[in-house]
Amino acid sequence: MMAVQIGLLCGLVVFSLLAVLLRDILKAAISLAVSSLLLGILFFRMDAPYAGAFEISVVAGLITVLFIVTIALTKAEGDVRESRLAAWIFPLFFVVFLVIDFLVMRRLLGQISSVPSSAEAGTFGQVLWKNRTFDLVAQVGVIFAGVFAVLALFRKRSKHE
Amino acid sequence: MIFLFIALPLVVAGILPLVGKVSPRVLPDILANAVFATLLAVALLSGPSLAGQGAGLGPLVFLGEPLGVHLALDGFSLFILIVVSLVGLCIGLFSVKYMEHYGHKAVYYALLLIMTAGMNGLVLVTDLFQVYLFLEVAAIASYALVAYGLGHDELEASFKYLMLSAVASAFIIISVTLLFGLTGSLDFASVGRGLRGLDQPLVSALCAALFLVGFGLKAALIPFHAWLPDAHPSAPAPISAALSGLLIKVSGIYALTRIFFKVFGLTPALSDALMILGVVSMVAAALLALGQKDIKRMLAYSSISQVGYIVLGIGLGTPLGILGGLFHLLNHALAKSLLFLNSGSIQMAAGTRNLEEMNGLSRKMPVTAATTLVGSLSIAGVPPLNGFWSKLIIVVALVQAKRFGFALAAILASVLTLWYYLIIQRRAFFNKPDAKWRDVREAPFLMTAATVVLALLCIVIGIFFTATISTWIEPARDALAEGLQVIQSSIGNQ
Amino acid sequence: MSSAWFVYMGCAAVLLFLGLYCLLTMRNLIKLFIGIEILGKAVTLGLIATGSAKNSILTAQALAVTFIVVEVCVVATALAIIINIYRHTKSLDVRKLTQLKG
Repeated sequence: MMAVQIGLLCGLVVFSLLAVLLRDILKAAISLAVSSLLLGILFFRMDAPYAGAFEISVVAGLITVLFIVTIALTKAEGDVRESRLAAWIFPLFFVVFLVIDFLVMRRLLGQISSVPSSAEAGTFGQVLWKNRTFDLVAQVGVIFAGVFAVLALFRKRSKHE
Repeated sequence: MIFLFIALPLVVAGILPLVGKVSPRVLPDILANAVFATLLAVALLSGPSLAGQGAGLGPLVFLGEPLGVHLALDGFSLFILIVVSLVGLCIGLFSVKYMEHYGHKAVYYALLLIMTAGMNGLVLVTDLFQVYLFLEVAAIASYALVAYGLGHDELEASFKYLMLSAVASAFIIISVTLLFGLTGSLDFASVGRGLRGLDQPLVSALCAALFLVGFGLKAALIPFHAWLPDAHPSAPAPISAALSGLLIKVSGIYALTRIFFKVFGLTPALSDALMILGVVSMVAAALLALGQKDIKRMLAYSSISQVGYIVLGIGLGTPLGILGGLFHLLNHALAKSLLFLNSGSIQMAAGTRNLEEMNGLSRKMPVTAATTLVGSLSIAGVPPLNGFWSKLIIVVALVQAKRFGFALAAILASVLTLWYYLIIQRRAFFNKPDAKWRDVREAPFLMTAATVVLALLCIVIGIFFTATISTWIEPARDALAEGLQVIQSSIGNQ
Repeated sequence: MSSAWFVYMGCAAVLLFLGLYCLLTMRNLIKLFIGIEILGKAVTLGLIATGSAKNSILTAQALAVTFIVVEVCVVATALAIIINIYRHTKSLDVRKLTQLKG
């Protein structure tokens, strides 16, 4: 059972990697969408169906659509060439990082004892409504902010500054 | 009642587009400023009594179901609410005329109100994750506001600001996740208890460091300041005032202080880290400000420097130090907003931000010149204005705690500050006026009125500083008292 | 903490590194934003993993869902800025954005 999780995790990392490295932005955006999909499936397997569903529909869906729209609107003449340096610096840094990460994580987090939290009661809806109510007010705030930001940035200019 | 501070701006922001369709020129302005005025009145009138009772918003009962809404108003939160409403009102008044040629004022005011709601929310919640959420609300609104003019510079500045800010937010939420993992809860009190019970110094230090980087970036402490000198000058003047005067303090300093004092407790290591960051920002930014030709860039570097002062005072951790830091937060908010608004007036009248081009505007724009003088002297720390007292308190606190090196640096930075502000005064206002400024006139009434109010406050608070301190600042300081005890005991043991 | 938690957090750390790397070395504006997206994935994974290990998966999901909402709004704003930049400079190269001295 763990094997599937590990497989999904590897897929997640690989596709994110591809999203960074691919030259063609469209392919990079699609690669990002695939890795979101894998993350969503991972969430389902971790008993987090709501997060999984949300991740897939919003990140793999909505955000990807936004990316593709942006890419379509910004077809630049000639691609932006990424630097050649990145080709070999990257693996080097990655290896060094992995080694350090492994050592630090093992020592640092291996000794954690933590406060066990109380068993959770209720459904997701109940938790969302009762315990994290105020988050919803904040969500309204963020959505307002995003909507107005887009309105402001795309407004018709009658006079220029 | 407390909920009003968040709900009112959001609701009005929501209806503003409709209002804007109906009456694009007058109604949005009135509505937005009415919101600020209302919040200010509520904060001033009923605030102290609410805070005194330790009022919170316990479990509400809505439609028969208990909802988990936990807001808390204490002295520190109230203090910030007042500063936000006050400065917000002046910015709103100023924007009535200044934003005319930017167009679509309804959307502008909506974003300004959303940013205010975000800041108010940040100071009222008691939960780590919600701090992050309201931080983002205000941040997203600010990205759009910085880019509001849609010119090349604004967009570039906004983009860089967004990138850095998003990284900061990521660090913050990671730290929150780690704390959640350690202690199983998210609200300040429980996490604080949990951390103390666990005694996990390494992971706590990691979380603290992540917070320091994240909030340090929001507050524009050196070395996390790179976005500010571009973002503040490019934004429209009232937004520069809002960012410098309010946002970096609320989303940076308030959040940092609240979390460090309530959750971690101010350990000597943390105190040292804050003080070093503070002193570096204070001195380095002052030096950088000297070389600037663009008046708003100079003001931006000055903001970084003054934030350094505030962090130095708060980081010291002694009651007097915190008092000085908080008082300076108030004074800088007033004076810096004043200066940025005036730079907007100058820009609107004379069409330039370049100090070498402005000459002798004082005869043409007497009110602007006078208020700029007040603001400059206030930040430079000249008696009897308010800035002098807050800086003095910080220096005295440093000397009392035997940190003489820091005290010396603070005095040095003050001298530098005075120097570059005198440059502004001389270049912009004194000297004989150039011929090209023949047709320059003073800024419209509402704009000057807003700046006069701020200048008067600087003077009045300077004269009546003891009253100001005892009414507003001391309760704020006392609300942070728990975290003080950690450092008190360590100083006592030296 | 269970060993599964470490695996997940390690993966989140890798994604974090990836995102930061992307931000530091990439030059296309949209690519830079992909870096931010990857950071977002790291955070979401971290949240759910921590919730799963602490037996509070419901709270963690509420947090993660809210976080994703925030992420969407940031993406919308950022892409709007990018499109506007493109309209000005006709290019997505971040090296062209050097007018301000910083």
